[in-house]
Amino acid sequence: MDDIRKKAKELLENKTVQVVIGYGKGSGEEARAIFVRDAAKTDQLIFDETCLQNLAVYILKHEVKHLGKIAIVATSSVLRSIMILASEQQLKDGDLVVLGITSDGKYIDLPNFKAIEDYLATLNVSITDKEKELLKMIDAMTMEERWAWWQNEFSKCFKCYACRSACPMCYCPKCTTDSNQPQWIPVASHQLGNMEWHLMRAMHLAGRCINCGECAKACPMDIPLNLLTYKMIDEMNANFGVTVGMKPDAVFALSTFKNEDKENFIR
Amino acid sequence: MARIGVFICHCGENISATVDCAKVAAVASNFPGVAYSVDYKYMCSDPGQRMIIDAIKEKKLDGIVVGSCSPRMHEPTFRRATAEGGLNPFLCEMANLREHCSWVHEKGDVTTAKAIDLVRTLVEKVKRNTPLLPIKVPVTKTALVIGGGVAGIQAALDIANTGHKVVMVERDPSIGGHMSQLSETFPTLDCSQCILTPRMVEVAQHPNITLYTYAEVESLDGFVGNFKVKIRKKAKSINEKDCTGCGLCCTKCPTKKIPSEFEQGLGFRSAIYVPFPQAVPNKPVIDKENCTYYTKGKCRVCEKVCPTKAIRFDQEDEILEIEIGAIVICTGFNILKTSFFPEYGYGVYKDVIDGLQFERLASASGPTLGEIRRPSDGKIPQKIVFIACAGSRDPAKGIEYCSKICCMYTAKHAMLYKHKVHEGKAYIFYMDIRAGGKMYEEFVRRAIVEDEAQYIRGRVSKVYEKNGKLIVVGADTLLGAMPVEIEADMVVLATAGIASEGAESLAQKLHVSYDAYKFFAEAHPKLKPVETNTAGIFLAGACQAPKDIPESVSAASGAAVKVAALFSNDELTRDPMVAFVNRTAPPVFSTCVGCFLCQPVCPYQAIEKEEIKDRQGKTIKTVARINPGLCQGCGTCVALCRNKAIDILGYTNEQVYTEVVALLNEY
Ligand SMILES: Cc1cc2nc3c(=O)[nH]c(=O)nc-3n(C[C@H](O)[C@H](O)[C@H](O)COP(=O)(O)OP(=O)(O)OC[C@H]3O[C@@H](n4cnc5c(N)ncnc54)[C@H](O)[C@@H]3O)c2cc1C
Ligand code: SF4
Ligand code: SF4
Ligand code: SF4
Ligand code: SF4
Repeated sequence: MDDIRKKAKELLENKTVQVVIGYGKGSGEEARAIFVRDAAKTDQLIFDETCLQNLAVYILKHEVKHLGKIAIVATSSVLRSIMILASEQQLKDGDLVVLGITSDGKYIDLPNFKAIEDYLATLNVSITDKEKELLKMIDAMTMEERWAWWQNEFSKCFKCYACRSACPMCYCPKCTTDSNQPQWIPVASHQLGNMEWHLMRAMHLAGRCINCGECAKACPMDIPLNLLTYKMIDEMNANFGVTVGMKPDAVFALSTFKNEDKENFIR
Repeated sequence: MARIGVFICHCGENISATVDCAKVAAVASNFPGVAYSVDYKYMCSDPGQRMIIDAIKEKKLDGIVVGSCSPRMHEPTFRRATAEGGLNPFLCEMANLREHCSWVHEKGDVTTAKAIDLVRTLVEKVKRNTPLLPIKVPVTKTALVIGGGVAGIQAALDIANTGHKVVMVERDPSIGGHMSQLSETFPTLDCSQCILTPRMVEVAQHPNITLYTYAEVESLDGFVGNFKVKIRKKAKSINEKDCTGCGLCCTKCPTKKIPSEFEQGLGFRSAIYVPFPQAVPNKPVIDKENCTYYTKGKCRVCEKVCPTKAIRFDQEDEILEIEIGAIVICTGFNILKTSFFPEYGYGVYKDVIDGLQFERLASASGPTLGEIRRPSDGKIPQKIVFIACAGSRDPAKGIEYCSKICCMYTAKHAMLYKHKVHEGKAYIFYMDIRAGGKMYEEFVRRAIVEDEAQYIRGRVSKVYEKNGKLIVVGADTLLGAMPVEIEADMVVLATAGIASEGAESLAQKLHVSYDAYKFFAEAHPKLKPVETNTAGIFLAGACQAPKDIPESVSAASGAAVKVAALFSNDELTRDPMVAFVNRTAPPVFSTCVGCFLCQPVCPYQAIEKEEIKDRQGKTIKTVARINPGLCQGCGTCVALCRNKAIDILGYTNEQVYTEVVALLNEY
């Protein structure tokens, strides 16, 4: 951690960056995101097991962008998000300084996208045991049971869109839910409209979601909505053999047709 | 408040027999925004159209809904009438009350109710229509002809003679295609080379034609009138300007035992070679795979003997980029090789040959100088068995179609054989004799009556070798499937015509469709036989399906006219139903985030990058841009874009959504 603080201080002092996004002490149990702009305050940066949030969500936020060049403390989720954002042309190599950090708090030097790609290749990305458990349960259900289960889960949703705000991939300046000409998704939260919102969200993140779980963590109603998008990752892997968010120049599996694709019904 | 006019057509009795048209018009007159509503027997007739034109003026209409037949039928008619009335033609919509309603339902109230619903959805849509302007694109008046067989030659000459430029790309070292390999041609038996060679020369000498042989299409971009093609000119290893075509190199080349493609493996060529004496251009190429200098690093004999020092071992493939306006695909066909047939010996019996090999044996310029001699020992065969439909019309072999040319050329082969070997006996196993065509049936008759070809209706189950003879085992189905066994000296298989090698990858490069057999697909089997589904790309000859020379040539002339018609315009007009990326107020500028996930999904490569700049010219945002000349309005990108930044003009999300909502909501 000291390495990171030192590095952050250096970057701010020599004005390489104007802001360092990292973790600081929260008001409760958990750490929260902090935005350090003053070299003297870099010792506020911390890293412990509560530092779980995917900070990549802030990279494209207007409020953060206008502060200037960014350095970011990057866990594997942040790194994978950066890979997606790069593949989607939202970030270029050199746009930001990446302060890589291992799960046990060690600083890793990641000077460019290539280094990130190489580092990610050495990691084993998988889901938590709790998530595995839930998925197993859902997979065991019949189609009707599953539909009913999700309907019940989503009936709790009251469309606060916290999940959307927490997602690094939901960076659209005008989300489809914000459109009223036409009103694709009803404003009020009722069963049908909630379902529409969540199906849409899941589809929008298919092949893009890296399963950082931020959406589910953000949800005040504890809806495990990340399982829906996680399932998409699974499908993506099974059908197209891609693990999302490992390369800065990946092609989007859902809009790319290759001759050697397994399915040839589309030819 | 909108002022929509609704015009309900009876279509004679086509609609009114099951739909109460007067009621539809009456109910529609009460829809919000409808200022005028009538029904009439034939809206498309002159008085019907007049009603629309007059009503626009008299009732000050600002939108038109015609409830009638399919828009495929009369959309242009009613749009024209709308324009004549003084409105933008795209403010006219058609509700299909015929194909979508009256023709598919019984007479009754529900049918009328459905017609009312259909009209209502379009009334709601047309309220959100905006005036649109047709798109104009310039035309590059140069045509690309791919393939220099007889079809390509004809197409190129016809286009060039209308005064337009033509670029011809031929994969082989010479143009001519299969026709240059034929001996004499049915149904007139004129010498193939004699009628083809003058045209090959004409192509080479025509001031409007640029010929690239030993070249292939590398990639294609752009759209009708404005294509950009990359052509790979494979290295010939000679400087064509210096080479005089003296041929000394070919005679001196020590590597001589390479089976000649032109002679179908029945003769040999050297590593530096001209495929045949009449080749155009008549200049050699070095076959790098067989040249000892390229494979082993020494030799260079040709370089030493060449009087003009034209050999260039260091020559590299060259990529040319050319702008063109239209394309004619003439890449021809191929035939199955004898090795495809296990029952006929997998190609191991030397004296079981295919039709093209027979053509070479019968050719005066062929490996036997026109004498029919069998490949194994050079003896003159006394009995030849011809097997028609080898592979064709055989679902078990994966080829269900009739190859069409084989019946005719087999009759020709039997005839040529008899003319050359008078005492010889020709047997032909056949399924049916298909001789549709001018003078074709007469031709086959002649083979049977005058030249004593013995036709046996039935299939051959097996051919095997015994004591230097080929034993052909078959059945005669006209004699109750009686087994037949013939001891032949030679067997000629009329093997199925198949798509030329590389047709599939070429189709993918050109973005045109092809059928299950990898032949290029026409846009409509009857009415658009020389068009593809891609505007500006045409087809001719055997690349579409097996064809004989007269058919290939007429298709080529047809395609040439299509190209000439296209080139008669300086600008092309296209329907404006294309996609566009939205613009919104600053600071967002467009809801497009520039993720470009839509880019690969467009089947027409219409999506580009565009930079939105401020007044100082600084880029504020990079967003997607749809090239309206390329976009075909398929809507795939609209469905893909997460935040709905793309819309199709005339079918915006809002318009379609309104239609759906209008349909769902009870009126
Ligand atoms: C054994 C036999 C006998 C026949 N006898 C007769 C007859 O007597 N009378 C008759 O009317 N018809 C006859 N035919 C049919 C005749 O050969 C065809 O009708 C004719 O050759 C079709 O011409 P084409 O130009 O369409 O194709 P092709 O002759 O096949 O020419 C195609 C040309 O395109 C080139 N090419 C292919 N792919 C590419 C590419 N990717 N890029 C660039 N160039 C490419 C090829 O090299 C070739 O030069 C016979 C056919 C056979 C097999
Ligand atoms: S839900 Fe879809 S449209 Fe909305 S912000 Fe997320 S990706 Fe964009
Ligand atoms: S955070 Fe939870 S409650 Fe809020 S919109 Fe998302 S799923 Fe619904
Ligand atoms: S139009 Fe949509 S899919 Fe295409 S680049 Fe823009 S946001 Fe992405
Ligand atoms: S509508 Fe179809 S053709 Fe047009 S840009 Fe979109 S995907 Fe391409």
